[in-house]
Amino acid sequence: MLGLGNLQPRQLATQLLNFALVLSTAFMLWKGLSVATDSPSPIVVVLSGSMEPAFQRGDLLFLWNRGLDTKIGEVVVYNVKGKDIPIVHRVVRRFGGGKTPLRLLTKGDNNAADDTELYAAGQNFLTRKEDVVGSVVGYIPFVGYVTILLSEYPWLKQAMLGIMGLMVVLQRE
Amino acid sequence: MSATTKIAVHSLADLKNTSDDALPNYLTSLKFKQNHTQTDIRLALGYTAVAISGALFYIDWKFGWEVTKPYTAPAVIAYFILNTAFSYWIWFVENGVIFEGEGKTGKLRIQTSTKKHMPVYNLTAIFTPTYASGSSSSSKSTTGPQQTLHLRAPFTRWFTADGYFVAKPFQQWLASEIPIIGAADPKNVVEDIGRGNQTQTEAERVLNLGGDSNVLEVLEQLKKGAAAVGGGAGTGSSAGKGGKRRK
Repeated sequence: MLGLGNLQPRQLATQLLNFALVLSTAFMLWKGLSVATDSPSPIVVVLSGSMEPAFQRGDLLFLWNRGLDTKIGEVVVYNVKGKDIPIVHRVVRRFGGGKTPLRLLTKGDNNAADDTELYAAGQNFLTRKEDVVGSVVGYIPFVGYVTILLSEYPWLKQAMLGIMGLMVVLQRE
Repeated sequence: MSATTKIAVHSLADLKNTSDDALPNYLTSLKFKQNHTQTDIRLALGYTAVAISGALFYIDWKFGWEVTKPYTAPAVIAYFILNTAFSYWIWFVENGVIFEGEGKTGKLRIQTSTKKHMPVYNLTAIFTPTYASGSSSSSKSTTGPQQTLHLRAPFTRWFTADGYFVAKPFQQWLASEIPIIGAADPKNVVEDIGRGNQTQTEAERVLNLGGDSNVLEVLEQLKKGAAAVGGGAGTGSSAGKGGKRRK
């Protein structure tokens, strides 16, 4: 283990660069995936049990947002205006399409009623182009549980980032 | 890195990094002027990529996905092109170079490497000696041909058992094996004793120290003669391994 104090300027710049490259590569891979899927967040984690038994809490979902003609039965992820957390639910009804903008009604498989109550005040349906982030095309069970832990215990996130940063800066393997 | 830093002797990375750090220090102390161009180009490539990513992150965070969308694809492509160039530079251009520079005795470029689980320092020195004004005929400095030396030495030669780097044996090793370092630092040149087949190497070493190109020619003549008689003469480039020339 080598301290930071006795490094030459260029070595210090190299160490910092290594750390910055780890972060920026992760970010750019994410953005590359965003571009490919045309979705602002191409991978999401299921946070609630409202889609059981199809998806459990902690499942990792892969989204695709090209080809906007969503059919009934597809599972979509949408954002509600004014709320931060995206919701994963199934399309149960569709209106419009073609020349008029496509509008969707969604419902959680495990919920008794459809989503009209979850939507923003005065909103009775989703506009496909504006509200929906993407359709689910694949999933990995349980892997996303780490992010649930991280979001429920925010200090874990800071601790993990800190440790990762220190490791990269201090190690020269 | 000074002798005060203690390292873990079983960490090959620590052994190599400490040696790699000590080498430029030693050479710059011998008035070799280090050339940082390659490092600077690598840093420029890397930091440009990071800057692109940082800018994208900022506008994405500030204005959101819809505004950022048209810039995202070009930024991602530019980032990965720069990143590829960066990796290419490290693996194929720098290729383990830890020192590149020029001194009074010539130009020098040093690459080092280690093999997994082998506590041996592999060093490749590519150098072009400059002979200062000779003893008699010409007063101009002349440049010799570029030579390449492959050296290997166990780290135990300059690390103590408890993990301290000792500069003296390290410097002696470099000065004795690489002629242009030896010429710049004659005090650290040591001779191996008790090896009968070392004579030819010694002759070349002395010659490089004297720095007289005339002697070089004479020796070449002698070598040709010897080759005609004994058929066993080699070239000067493998002088680092004197032991291999036994017939």
